[in-house]
Amino acid sequence: MEEFINVGKRIPKMDAEEKVTGKAIYIHDLKIPGMLHGKILYSPHPHAKIKSIDTSKAEKLPGVKAVLTGYNIPPIKFGFYKDNTPLKANKVCSLRDEVAAVAATDLDIAEEALDLIKVEYEILPGVFDPEEAMKEGAPLIHEEHVGGKEKKPTNVLNLPWRLIAGDVEEARKNSAFVAEDRFKVTWVTHCCMGTSGCVAQFDLKNNLTVYSITQIPSLEQRDFTEALAAMGLKGKKARVIKTMIGGGFGSKLDTYAFEYIAILLAFKTRKPVKIVFSREEEFFATSPRQPAIIDIAQGCTKEGILTFRDIRMILDNGAYTSWGATTPSVMMMPISSLYKVPNVRYIAKCVYTNNTYSQAMRGYGNPQATFAIDSQMDILAEMAGIDPLDFRLRNANTPGEVTPQNFKIVSCGLRECIDAVAQKLDWRQSRGKRDGRGVGMASLIHVGGGARVYKSDGCGTIIKIDDFGTVNVFTGATDMGQGSDTVIAQIVAEELGVRVEDVVVTHTDTDICPWDVGAHASRTTFVAGNSARGAAKKVKEQLLEIAAKSISESPENLDIRDRTIYSKKDPEKKSPLGKVLRAAHYAAGGSMVMGEYFYDPNNENLDREFKGNLSVTYAYGTHGVEVEVDKETGQVKILRYVAAHDVGKAINPMLLEGQVYGGATQGIGYALTERLILQNGKVMNPNFLDYKMLTAKDVPNFETIVVETNDEFGPFGAKGIGEPGLVPTAPAIANAIYDAVGVRIKDLPITPEKVLGALKEKAK
Amino acid sequence: MKQTINFTLNGELVEVEIEPHLTLLQLLRDKLELIGTKEGCGMGECGACTVLLDGKTVNSCIFPAMEVEGKKVVTIEGLMDAQGNLHPIQKAFVEQGAVQCGFCTPGMVLSAKALLDENPKPTEEEIRHGIAGNLCRCTGYIQIIEAIKAVSGQ
Amino acid sequence: MKKFDYLKPKSIEEALTLLDQYGEKAKLIAGGTDVIVMVKQKTMAPEVLISLQAIPGLNEINYNGFLSIGPMVTHRMIEKSELIKKDYSALADAVSWLGSIQIRNVATIGGNICTAAPSADTATPLLVLGTQVKIKSLKEERVVPIEEFFKGPGETVLKKGELIKELMIPKPLPNTGSAYYKLQRRLALDLPILGVSALLSLDKNKVTCADMLCTTSPISSILHKMEEDDLVCKEVRIALGVAAPTPMRAVKAETLLRGKKLSDELLEEVAETAAKEAQPRDSIRGEAWYRRDMIKVLVKRMAMKSIERVIQPEETVFPERLW
Repeated sequence: MEEFINVGKRIPKMDAEEKVTGKAIYIHDLKIPGMLHGKILYSPHPHAKIKSIDTSKAEKLPGVKAVLTGYNIPPIKFGFYKDNTPLKANKVCSLRDEVAAVAATDLDIAEEALDLIKVEYEILPGVFDPEEAMKEGAPLIHEEHVGGKEKKPTNVLNLPWRLIAGDVEEARKNSAFVAEDRFKVTWVTHCCMGTSGCVAQFDLKNNLTVYSITQIPSLEQRDFTEALAAMGLKGKKARVIKTMIGGGFGSKLDTYAFEYIAILLAFKTRKPVKIVFSREEEFFATSPRQPAIIDIAQGCTKEGILTFRDIRMILDNGAYTSWGATTPSVMMMPISSLYKVPNVRYIAKCVYTNNTYSQAMRGYGNPQATFAIDSQMDILAEMAGIDPLDFRLRNANTPGEVTPQNFKIVSCGLRECIDAVAQKLDWRQSRGKRDGRGVGMASLIHVGGGARVYKSDGCGTIIKIDDFGTVNVFTGATDMGQGSDTVIAQIVAEELGVRVEDVVVTHTDTDICPWDVGAHASRTTFVAGNSARGAAKKVKEQLLEIAAKSISESPENLDIRDRTIYSKKDPEKKSPLGKVLRAAHYAAGGSMVMGEYFYDPNNENLDREFKGNLSVTYAYGTHGVEVEVDKETGQVKILRYVAAHDVGKAINPMLLEGQVYGGATQGIGYALTERLILQNGKVMNPNFLDYKMLTAKDVPNFETIVVETNDEFGPFGAKGIGEPGLVPTAPAIANAIYDAVGVRIKDLPITPEKVLGALKEKAK
Repeated sequence: MKQTINFTLNGELVEVEIEPHLTLLQLLRDKLELIGTKEGCGMGECGACTVLLDGKTVNSCIFPAMEVEGKKVVTIEGLMDAQGNLHPIQKAFVEQGAVQCGFCTPGMVLSAKALLDENPKPTEEEIRHGIAGNLCRCTGYIQIIEAIKAVSGQ
Repeated sequence: MKKFDYLKPKSIEEALTLLDQYGEKAKLIAGGTDVIVMVKQKTMAPEVLISLQAIPGLNEINYNGFLSIGPMVTHRMIEKSELIKKDYSALADAVSWLGSIQIRNVATIGGNICTAAPSADTATPLLVLGTQVKIKSLKEERVVPIEEFFKGPGETVLKKGELIKELMIPKPLPNTGSAYYKLQRRLALDLPILGVSALLSLDKNKVTCADMLCTTSPISSILHKMEEDDLVCKEVRIALGVAAPTPMRAVKAETLLRGKKLSDELLEEVAETAAKEAQPRDSIRGEAWYRRDMIKVLVKRMAMKSIERVIQPEETVFPERLW
C-alpha cells in the first residue's frame, strides 16, 4: 500500500494549543466597541393569544436602546416550512416563543427591561401529544395550516414521508416469523458546552455582518440575505464570520429566532448587538432531537433471512418546523438499507404540537430508527431460534449491493465489524446466560460519502501558496471541534508533499471562503476532503509546471516530497519548494500559485418515491456491549464496550477515535440517562443537574476497532465518521440488557425504573 | 458600594475595585478580561469555569469575588511558563486528542492540575473521580483521561 | 440577578450583630454554592450577604471524646479526614458523592444542612451518627438533636438571628459500622433519587469470631454465620433522604432490629418497615413507587455494608454501585 507521510497519522488538532491555553475566542468572548446586549422575553404559556403588549416602561429604562415585539418588526419568515417568525405577533404556540426583545448597554439592564414588559394573554387549550394532535377537533397550532385533499386545517404537516419498495403484504404472508412492536424515543438535546449566541452588526451602507457559530455558513448567509430583503434592504450583503464553536452536533444547522432578533436589534440601534444564551435558554429555547412513536414489523424465513420491514412512525414536530422535520428522509436509510431487506414500507407523519420544536442532532433520525430496527432484530432472531450474531451475519450488507432505496453500496465492512465485535466480546461464551450479565450488539449504516439533501452537496476550496511555502487553504467546511481543519490540512499536505505545519486552514468567513452546504451528514472529511484534494492537485500541477523549467525535467517526471520538488528519474535534480515559488513570483510576467476546486459528489437527490443514491458511499459499523443489571434496583452498568467502524480510511486515527468515543458516550446517554422532560410543553429539567449527561465516572473504556475498506471514492479512501458513533448504541445496550435479565425495554431512556418495572412484570 | 480587593492572580498581585455582588467568574472575564475561563452553566453544574483558589478547584461562576481577598487564584492563562511554553498538562491534552470543541478544556486542565499536584500518580479511577466535576460533550472523556495518564508518566 | 452587599465579619459576635441589624434583608453565606445559585435563580433576593468565611475557628474538625465539626468545614475536608472515614464512614460516603470536587472544595457541611433540602447528602449520615447541632444567637446558645433540626423543605429550627456554631457527633459504640448510599442516575454531579444511611453496633465477642471467617466469605454467608452465632444488633439507626419532606429516621424499622439477633429475614422485615414509614413522592427526579421499592433494597444493603465495615474496617470503600 501507498506510504503516506501525513495521512493516517495521529496529528494533534491545529487549534488545540489555542484551546488549552484559553486563547481561543468563542462567541461568548467576543466584544466589539459600542456593543449592546440583547435579551429575549419568552411566552409564559404554551398556547395563547397575545391580547396586548406594553413596552413603554421598558423603553424608558435608562440604558435600554431598543425594544422590539412581533408588532414592530418586518415580516421575516424562517425555518424549513417558513412557519416561524423572530418575534411572535397575535399568538404564541410554545413556551419558547419569543414575544419581545431588548437591546441595552448591559445584560443586567436588558434583563431588568424584560421584567417591565407587560403582555396580556388569552390562554388557549394546548396539545402536547402528537397522537392527540392528529385527532379531529384537537387544538390547531397554526389555524392557517391546511392539508389533505380537502385542504382542511390540520396539525399534520404536509410532508408525506413514504417509501415503498417491493411488496410488504405479500412478504409478510410468506414469512415464517413476524415480529411486531412499538418503540418510543423521547427528546434529548445537544448540550453544547458553549451556549448559542451571535453578534450582529451593520456597516454604514447597511451591509450586515454576523459573528456566528453556525454549522452552515453559506446557507446562513443566504437566509440572512433573504431577511435583509424582508427588512427592505434588498441587495445588501450578509457576511457570516465564525468564532470558535463550543460544540455543534447538529444544533446549528438552521437559522434561529435569536439570530434574526440580534440582526433586527442591531439595525434598529445602529450598534453591534450580542445575544448569548444562558444555560437555561440553551435547554428550553434550542431544539432537541425529535421524539418518535415507532410501530415496526419485520419478518424472516425459517432460515433467518429477512423478508420485509414495515414501519409507521409519528414524530412530534413541535410548534414550528426546522430542517429537523426532514429527519424521516434519513430514517429511510437504515429502514431500507440496514441489513438486506427486500421489501420495505415506511410511512411517517410529522405533527405540530405545543411542544418545543425539534431539529437536527447527530445521527439525524438514524438513532431513533436504528433503535427500533436493531432491537427488533434480536426479537426476531429469538423467534426464529437463531443466535442474533448469526442472524445479523446472514443479513449483512455486502459491497456491490443495490438496496431497496437504490443506494449503491461501494465499500462495506459490516461483516468485518460484526465479526470483530463478536470476537472481542467472546460472544458465544458470553451470551445467553441470563445471570445478570449479558451481551448485545447492533449495527449501523450511515451516509459516508456526502448526502444530497440540497440541490448541491458541494464544497469549494481555494489554495494559495506564498513565497515561503506556506499553504493557505480556504475551505467551505466548518470545524466545530471535530477537527476538520486538521484533516483537511493532512489531505492537502499529503497531496502537495509538504508538512501539516506548513498548512494554514481558514474556514471562518463567507467573504473569504468558498461555498459549502454545511457540516452535516458526516460529510466534511469526504466532501471537503475531496474538494481540498482536488484543489491541491491543481496547485501541484502548477508547481510542477513552474519547476519543470528550473529543474529542466518534464512536469510528469516531477513530484514533491517534504517541501522539495524532485525528479522521479533522477532524485539529485531537485529544488526547494520556496525557491520555486519565489522564482515564479519574481519572474518577469510572474505568476501566483493558486488553485480552486469545487467538489460536488456524484450522488443523487431522493426522487419523488424517496429513492436514489443519496450518498456516494456508506459507512457501516457495529457496537457490542456487555452489561450487568442489578435485578433489585434496575441499574445498568456497562462492563465492556466495543465499537467497530468501517471508516474507509482513517485520515487521523486519533481524531477518528475522538469521534467514536464522543459519539458512543452521547449514545449511552441516549440509551440510559438523558431525556429532556417536558410536561405540558414545559422543559422541567433545563439544567445540567437534572439533564443527565454522563460524567467521566460514568463512561466505560471503549475498545475501538477501525475497519479500513479504502473506499474508491473517498479522499485517500476515507468515509464519514462524525455521526455513526452514536447510532447503534441504544439498541446494543437494550439487547444486552435483554440477554442479561430477559426484559425488553422499548422506550428510551432505559431508566432503572423501567428495567425494574419490567422485571417485576416478568416475575408475575 | 464598590470595594477594593487584593489577591494574587497567576502569580501577580492585583488590586481591583469591584461591586460586591460579582462572582469570581465575572471579575475574571468582564473586569480583568481573562476570557480563558468559560461559563458553561452559571450554576456550578459543569465545571467549565473551574479555576484554582489556593491550589484547589472552585467553580468561579458561583464563587463570590469578595472571597478571593488575600488568596491565590490561578486561571488557565497562568499555566504557561514565562517563555510561553505549554504546561505539561496542556501539552498532553494537545498531543492525546483531549480537545475537541475546547469549551470545557480550560476547566478540565485546571482540574487535572489540582489532581496531579495532590496525587502525581493517580489511578484511572482517581483520574475519573478528579475530573468528574467537569462535563465534556465532545470527547467521551477517554482521551482526556489518557492525557492525564500521560502527564503522570503512565 | 439582584445586586447585594457583601459583609465579612471577623467573629461570630460580629456576624450575629450584623444579622440582628439587617434582619430580613440579610442572609448568611457559607460556601455559597447554594446561596449564590438561589440568588441567581431569583428564588432569594437578599440585600446583604453576611459571609462566615473570615471567622476563625469555624472550619475545624476536632476530636475530644466526640467529633466536633465546624459549620464552615468543607465537604472536601471531611472527604479527606481519615478519622471520619474510619469511625464515621456514612458521612465519608456522603461527602465523596456530593456534587463535584469543585463544589466540595467550597460547600460546607453547615451550609448543606441549613439549605435543608430533602436530598441533602450529609443529612442522613448526620442522623444515623446521632449528631447534635449547637446553635448560637446573640442571646443564647442551644443544642438541638439533628432529628429536630429539619422542619420542612428549606426550613430548619434556626430562628432569625441564629447560626450554627458546631456539629457534635458522639464517639460510636465499639463495633459500629455505618454506610450511606446515594441512589443516583450518574456517578457524579447528581442529586440522590434516594439517600439511605444505616448505622449498626454489634455484640463485641461474637464479632471477633465472625471476623475469622469473613475475609473470604461473601457478605450473605457472613450474615448466615452471624445468625448461627446469635449475633445481636445492639444499636441501629436508619435514615432516609428524599423519602419525606425532610431527611428522616426510620424509627419503627430501627425498633424492630434494636437488641435483636441478626438474620436475613429480620433485615428484610426492617427494610419493609422503613419503606412503609417513608412518604416518598413523585417528582421529575424519581417516582414514588421506585423510591419506596429502593428503600426496601437499600436499607438492607446499607445494614449489610455497615456490618461489613465492623468486620473489615480496612475495607471502608465508598460504595459505587452495589451489585
